[in-house]
Amino acid sequence: MSDTQLKPQGAPGLIVDRRQLMAGAAALGLGFGLEAPSAFADETPKKGGTLKLGMEGGSASDSLDPRTYADSIPISYGWQICNGLVEVDAKGDAVGELAESFEAKPGATSWIFNIRKGVTFGSGKTLDADDVIYSLNLHRGETKSGAKDLLSGISDIKKLTPNQIEITLKSGDASLPYVFADYHILIVPNGFSDFSKLDGTGAFALESFEPGVRVITKNRGNYWKPGRGNFDSVELRYIPDAAARVQALISGQIDGGNRLDAKTVSFVMKSPNVNVVRTKGTGNRFAFVALCDADPYTSNDIRLALKYGIDRQKIVDTVYKGFATVGNDTTVPPSMKYFAKDIPQRPYDPDKAAFHFKKAGMANATMELQVSEGAFSGATDSAVLYQEAMKKAGLDLQVKRVSGDGYWDNVWLKAPFCAVYWGGRPTADNQLSQTFLSTANWNDTHWRQPGFDKLIIEARAELDEAKRTQMYAEAQKMIVDDGGMVCFAIGDYLDGYGKKVKGAAPHPHYDMCDQRIAEKGWFA
Amino acid sequence: MLRLVATRAVLGLVTLFAVSVLIFICTQILPGDVAAAVLGQQATPDALKVFRAELGLDKPAYVRYFAWLLGILHGDFGRALTNQRDIVEELLPRFLNTLFLAGYAAIISVPVSVALGIMSAIREGRLSDRVANVLTLIAISVPEFFVGYVLIIIFAIYFGWFPSLATVFPGMGIGERFYVATLPALTLTLVVLAHMLRMTRNTVLSIMSTPYIEMAFLKGLSRTRVVSRHALPNAAGPIISVVALDLAYLVVGVVVVENVFVYPGVGQYMVDAVAKRDVPVIQACGLVFAAVFVILNTLADILAILFNPRLRRRR
Repeated sequence: MSDTQLKPQGAPGLIVDRRQLMAGAAALGLGFGLEAPSAFADETPKKGGTLKLGMEGGSASDSLDPRTYADSIPISYGWQICNGLVEVDAKGDAVGELAESFEAKPGATSWIFNIRKGVTFGSGKTLDADDVIYSLNLHRGETKSGAKDLLSGISDIKKLTPNQIEITLKSGDASLPYVFADYHILIVPNGFSDFSKLDGTGAFALESFEPGVRVITKNRGNYWKPGRGNFDSVELRYIPDAAARVQALISGQIDGGNRLDAKTVSFVMKSPNVNVVRTKGTGNRFAFVALCDADPYTSNDIRLALKYGIDRQKIVDTVYKGFATVGNDTTVPPSMKYFAKDIPQRPYDPDKAAFHFKKAGMANATMELQVSEGAFSGATDSAVLYQEAMKKAGLDLQVKRVSGDGYWDNVWLKAPFCAVYWGGRPTADNQLSQTFLSTANWNDTHWRQPGFDKLIIEARAELDEAKRTQMYAEAQKMIVDDGGMVCFAIGDYLDGYGKKVKGAAPHPHYDMCDQRIAEKGWFA
Repeated sequence: MLRLVATRAVLGLVTLFAVSVLIFICTQILPGDVAAAVLGQQATPDALKVFRAELGLDKPAYVRYFAWLLGILHGDFGRALTNQRDIVEELLPRFLNTLFLAGYAAIISVPVSVALGIMSAIREGRLSDRVANVLTLIAISVPEFFVGYVLIIIFAIYFGWFPSLATVFPGMGIGERFYVATLPALTLTLVVLAHMLRMTRNTVLSIMSTPYIEMAFLKGLSRTRVVSRHALPNAAGPIISVVALDLAYLVVGVVVVENVFVYPGVGQYMVDAVAKRDVPVIQACGLVFAAVFVILNTLADILAILFNPRLRRRR
C-alpha cells in the first residue's frame, strides 16, 4: 500500500475531493431510506476476498454467548455467524429475517411468526420452530441476558407447526417485531449450550476467536440470502485507539473501521483511498439530566431555565465539529419513526432562561452539574460551554468534574444534575420506555407522569398508524415541556471504508450498516 | 560468593511472596465485591448469595488467599469472571508477546545505549557527546505515544516501510514477527535510550575522577584504555541495575505503546480486566508483573556481584 499514502504536500489538491466526499456523505446521511440503497442497487455484488475490519467497542473479556453482548465488536461477529428472527431494513422498518413473515392478531397481544424453510445451521441441522423457541427462551426468566427486559412482555411462546410459532403478550405491542431485531436475540440450534463454538445460520462460521485481539470467520458457502455473504472470510481486529484505526485505514491495513473521531475525520476524508460514511443523528444521545424530585429541579421553571440556557449549536460546532445533530430534549431523533416533527426546536435564549429562573422564585438556588469524560467523550467541554452560556443569562451553573471510574455506579442516577448518554433503541417505544416511564429502572430524571405512562402503554397496542403517531408526538411533547432531560446533541455515526469496499451505506439503526457490513458488503 | 548469590535469590522469593499478599489485600479492599460487580444491575440479595457461594466468597479471606496461592503454585490462576476463559491460557501467549517485544527493544537499546554512553564518556564535552545527549533527552521528554505516532507518520504512512498495526498472531513466522513489531520496538528503544545512556556516561565519568584512574593516566595509559580496562568494570554494577530497571519497564510499562500499535500484550489485557473488575485476572497480571520486576532486579544484583573486580579477586 506504500504507493497510496497520504502525502502531506499533496493536501491542497485533495481538498476538492474532500468537499465532494463530504457533500456525498452528507447526502447519504440525510437520504437514507430514499437514495442510499438505490445508489448501490445498479451494482451486482461480487464474491471473494478477505474483509479486514478494525473496530472499537470490545475487550479481552468478550465472550461468544449472545446474552453477554454489549458493544460493537460482539454485535458484529454475532451477525456474521448468526441471524435474528427479524432485521431492520434501510428505511428503518422491521422485515423478516429467519421469520419469513409475521402478523399480529387484532389488539397485538398475539403474534404469528412463520419460520423460513430450508435454512441450515453450520452443524448441518435445518432450522425449525424449536430452535427459535429455544433461542428466544435463552433471554427469558432466570437469565443474565441484556435482552431480558425487552422480552419481559411475553407471556407464552407456542409451536403451532414445525415452521410456525405463536407469541402471546401480557399486553398489546404493535412494535414487537423490532424487539426481535435486537443483537442479543440470535437464533441458535435447539438445546445449544457450548457458546464457545457458536453455531448459527449466518453467512460465516467461526474460525478463530481471540477476544481483545481478533476474530476470524470463514464463509460457509451457499448463504440463504441472495446477494449477501460475499466475502470469503472476515478478519475483525480490536483496535481501541481511534488514531491507530485511522492510520490503519489510510495505509490500507484494514478495509473498514468504526467510530472515526469527529475532530480528525475531515483529514481522513482527504485521503484518496478512504470513503467516510456518515449517518446523521442516529448515534449516541448526549444529555445532562436533572432529578425532578431534587431541589431546585423540582420546579419546572428551573428545568426550563436549564433548557433555554444551553447553546446547543455552539456545542455541536465546537465539541463535535459539526458531526452531530442538535437535540431537542428527548432521546427520539428526527431519523426515528414517530419522531414528533411539529415540536419546535428549543433555541438558546438567555432572556427566557433568566425569566424562568426568576419565576421559579428560588433566587438562592445553586445548580451544580457533575460531569466526567467517563460519561461520554466531550462531556466536560460541553459542560464548560454550557456554563458560559448560562453566564450570559446571569445564571451561575457550577461544573464539577468527577472521576470516570465508577461514574455509572456512583454519580449517574444519584447526583441531582449530571451527564449521561443514551444509545439508540430500535423503536420509539423502547427508546421512551427505557428512560421515561415511571417504573423504568433507568429513569434518570425521576420524572414520573401517570399521563405519560398511560399514553405509552396505549400506543403500544394501537395498530392505527395515524393515531399511534399522534400519541407518540404527545408523549414527546410532555417530555420536552416538562421533563428533566437537557438532550443537547445526537451524535453522527462515522464509519471509514477503503475505496474498494462496496455496499456500505448509512443505516437508521446502527453504524457499520447496522453492524452487518460483513454480510452486506463486497469488493469492487 | 555463592552464598551472596543464594541470599539474593531467597530474598527475591520472599519479596514475591510479600507482593502476593499485598495484591490479594488490595483487591479485597476494592469497594464492592466481585459478585456485586459482575451481577451489577441485576443483583438481588438471593442472586448475590448464590453467586458468592459459587465463587467461594463466603469463606474467610485467609482461606481464600491460601487457596489462591496453592492454585498459582500448581500453575492455575483460575478463570476470568467475565467470560469464564482459563486465565493461564489467555495470559501466557500475551505474556510471551510482551516478552518478545521487550526483548526486541532490549536487543536494540542495550548495546546502543551502553556503547553511546561509553563513547560519550570517552569524548566528554565534544560534539558527539552533546548531540547524543540532546537527541536522547528529546526522545525521553515527549510522551511515548507521541514518539509512536511520529514514527508511524514517518515510517508507516509516509515511507510505507513498516505496518502501523503491530499485531502478532499465533502461527506467524519469526521474521514476520520482527518485521511487524519494528515500530513499537523502536518507540520503546527511544523511550529507554536516554536513561541508560546517561547513567552509563555519568557512572563512567564519576569513576574517572577517582584517584586510581588519575594514577592510571599518570602511568601514561591512553584514555580509551583507562576507560575500558579500569573504569568500566567498576562501573558495571550501577549500569547493570539501570539496564535491569529499564528492561522491567519494557515488560510492565508498555500499555500505552501496546495501545498505539494494537499489540496484543499483557498491558491491554490487564486494563480491560480493571475496567470490568475482573479480579482474578487483575491478580494474575499483578503477580506476573511483580515477578518480572523481582527476577530482573535479583538478576541485576547477582550480575553486579559477578562483575565486581573486588569480589572476583576474593574468590
